[in-house]
Amino acid sequence: MLQPDLVRLLTEGHVLVKSCDEDCLTGNTQEPRQSEGEEGEEGNPFNFTPQLIHLNKDHQLFEDGDIHRHMYLQDLYISEAEDKPTLSVSEFACHISGCSAIFSTLEEYEHHYNSLHRHVCCSCRRSLPSARLLDIHIQEWHDSLFTILSQRQDMYQCLVEGCGQKFSTSKHRKGHLIKIHKYPPDFRFDKTKKDKGNRQTKKQPQKDTTMDVVDDVCESEGVCEVMCDGLSHQPEQEESMETHGSEEEAARMAKSASTEEHADLNAAAPSTESSSSDPLEPRYSYRVPTNVCFGRGSVRGFRGRRGRRK
Amino acid sequence: MAGPNGHIVNLGLWQENSMHLLVGLLTGSDATCRLQAVRCLHELSHSPHTSVASACLPASPYLLTYLSGQSTKFTELCLYTLGNLCPDSVVKEKLLAQGIVPALASCLENQRHNLAVVEAVGFTLSQLLQANNAAEKIIPMVLASSLPSHLLSVLTPDPKFGLGPAIECAWCIHYLTCSMKDHRVLLAQGALLQCSSLLVSLGGAVAEGNKEEGMELLICPLLRCVGNLLSSCPLTDLSAQMGDVRIVVALCALLQAFLHTQPALARESAWVLNNLTAHSRALCSALLTLNLVPGLIQLLPFSQGINTMILRVLANIAHNKKDFCVQLAHRGLLSALCATLKMADQEMVTLSMDVLFMLVVSSPQVAEEFVKQGGLSLLEATQYNSEGEIRQRATHLLEHHLLS
Repeated sequence: MLQPDLVRLLTEGHVLVKSCDEDCLTGNTQEPRQSEGEEGEEGNPFNFTPQLIHLNKDHQLFEDGDIHRHMYLQDLYISEAEDKPTLSVSEFACHISGCSAIFSTLEEYEHHYNSLHRHVCCSCRRSLPSARLLDIHIQEWHDSLFTILSQRQDMYQCLVEGCGQKFSTSKHRKGHLIKIHKYPPDFRFDKTKKDKGNRQTKKQPQKDTTMDVVDDVCESEGVCEVMCDGLSHQPEQEESMETHGSEEEAARMAKSASTEEHADLNAAAPSTESSSSDPLEPRYSYRVPTNVCFGRGSVRGFRGRRGRRK
Repeated sequence: MAGPNGHIVNLGLWQENSMHLLVGLLTGSDATCRLQAVRCLHELSHSPHTSVASACLPASPYLLTYLSGQSTKFTELCLYTLGNLCPDSVVKEKLLAQGIVPALASCLENQRHNLAVVEAVGFTLSQLLQANNAAEKIIPMVLASSLPSHLLSVLTPDPKFGLGPAIECAWCIHYLTCSMKDHRVLLAQGALLQCSSLLVSLGGAVAEGNKEEGMELLICPLLRCVGNLLSSCPLTDLSAQMGDVRIVVALCALLQAFLHTQPALARESAWVLNNLTAHSRALCSALLTLNLVPGLIQLLPFSQGINTMILRVLANIAHNKKDFCVQLAHRGLLSALCATLKMADQEMVTLSMDVLFMLVVSSPQVAEEFVKQGGLSLLEATQYNSEGEIRQRATHLLEHHLLS
């Protein structure tokens, strides 16, 4: 027995034969939206209403079933077809405008979003691993007051949270990180374009793979070099963990892997929910080549070979 | 005599003469020859050559006449031959003029206990009903005849004979319902009641694991009939026409059973569930009280139209009452939405936002729960979506309902 609960519900008929009188008794066909207080609300964009959907003979939803019917009539029907249609799972897509990355699992999407779209510096579009590092980055790179103050006092914070020490130059900080906090000596403090060292942090080791991948992308696509060049001209060497501009990268990843999907996503119009007769336009392709016709609109139609029981 | 086989290469005079000969044998006094002749014609009718159908035209009035005969095998062959010739538009027009619809009606009426003939009538009628302009002439004729009531009476399969006749008649009713929007005639004859109670028993069989071969060939047209009949059935009639809430259980059983083997059938079941729940609070309530909602929520990852349709069903439930919304939230819909909001399919995202809105405004507890699950940052991210409609919804939800 495959579904015992449902079997029980279906066979214990007398318990459940409850008619739909409830609908008639209450006498309403369309209850007003429950958020009655907000009905007159300005600019409420939510407009879902339940829809009765009528599907005509040629609707795409019916195509697979029609194929089975056709094969049955042609005596080709096998109840367990070898060519089983595979069930597919929805993809996830990064919705940030301009980023067209697509993922097959939710975890991949979350990882992508957290790595590339969180904690992004508005000025230089770099994505930092945490809010704190973003703050430090903004302070040290884009704050002119910081530049002035740092000439007189120790302003460069230790990157390890909770340490609290400050240093007069980034070089001193780097030394501190290596000596006291045991950061590896080949830790990526410099953002030169040849540097492919691992950018580990003690806090978030799992971000490594993304960063390395991103680096590779940087290297291969070459766009990163522009940014890296800009970097090497910085008076201060950057030693915090950074990834380069998230949107550019996302665009590059999309370019290499999913340009077509991106185009498809853009081309596919958002659902039309206006008419009740045919609001569905599923955007999946079927196994049937377009030149095969099953009698819809053709002269020939089915040639049923009804000779099986003769 | 040796009849021509299916491969006619040289038509023309040879064809005309040989058809003349064939018709002569068909109408002659020798019964055996008649049978042979109709066998020949049946073979011919399988031919893919485009001119064969019109070549067989001279035989058509006789084939129709013989439908009122008593010889089972002979009648069957006539029917299948006619059915194979129907799709040709020239032949179809002739047949209509020669009275194929009344002929089929009286054949079905007189022979309704002869299931082999019933199956053949069903097949022929189904071919006729697939014509492109069927709605103009053919369907009104059929609806005006006794055919619909007889078709409905055959729907319940005979355990000894098999599913064949029921399958053909179900497809006929499907072609009737999908080509028209006005189903009053069929509804008046209890089509919805008949089809839905049959689905209930088939759903039970499938849930038990009893899968007779070919069952989905019957389930498919029945689903379509119920789905399309519902689209025009007034709510006030629904209780008379449906009566039994077990239909939602059956549909859920079919969904689960066919999800992996025939996703298209699962999708069609979900469509019917949408039409059932669109305006009936009782059926929405049944889904909740019978604990069928968690099973539906589990289907939300599956694409190709399944998840969008299921989400519509859940939206239909949410649309009813605040109380339903709270129940939906308790059964895990909120966390499911946190995932569906990230999907690539824009229709899924928009629908998810609509459902989320309904849930969030239903009660402050639900809004709180959503915030607890990280909803705020999710919506904030959604404010950067490339689709204007989606951005609007995210902003509205944040500003008016979550952050205020």
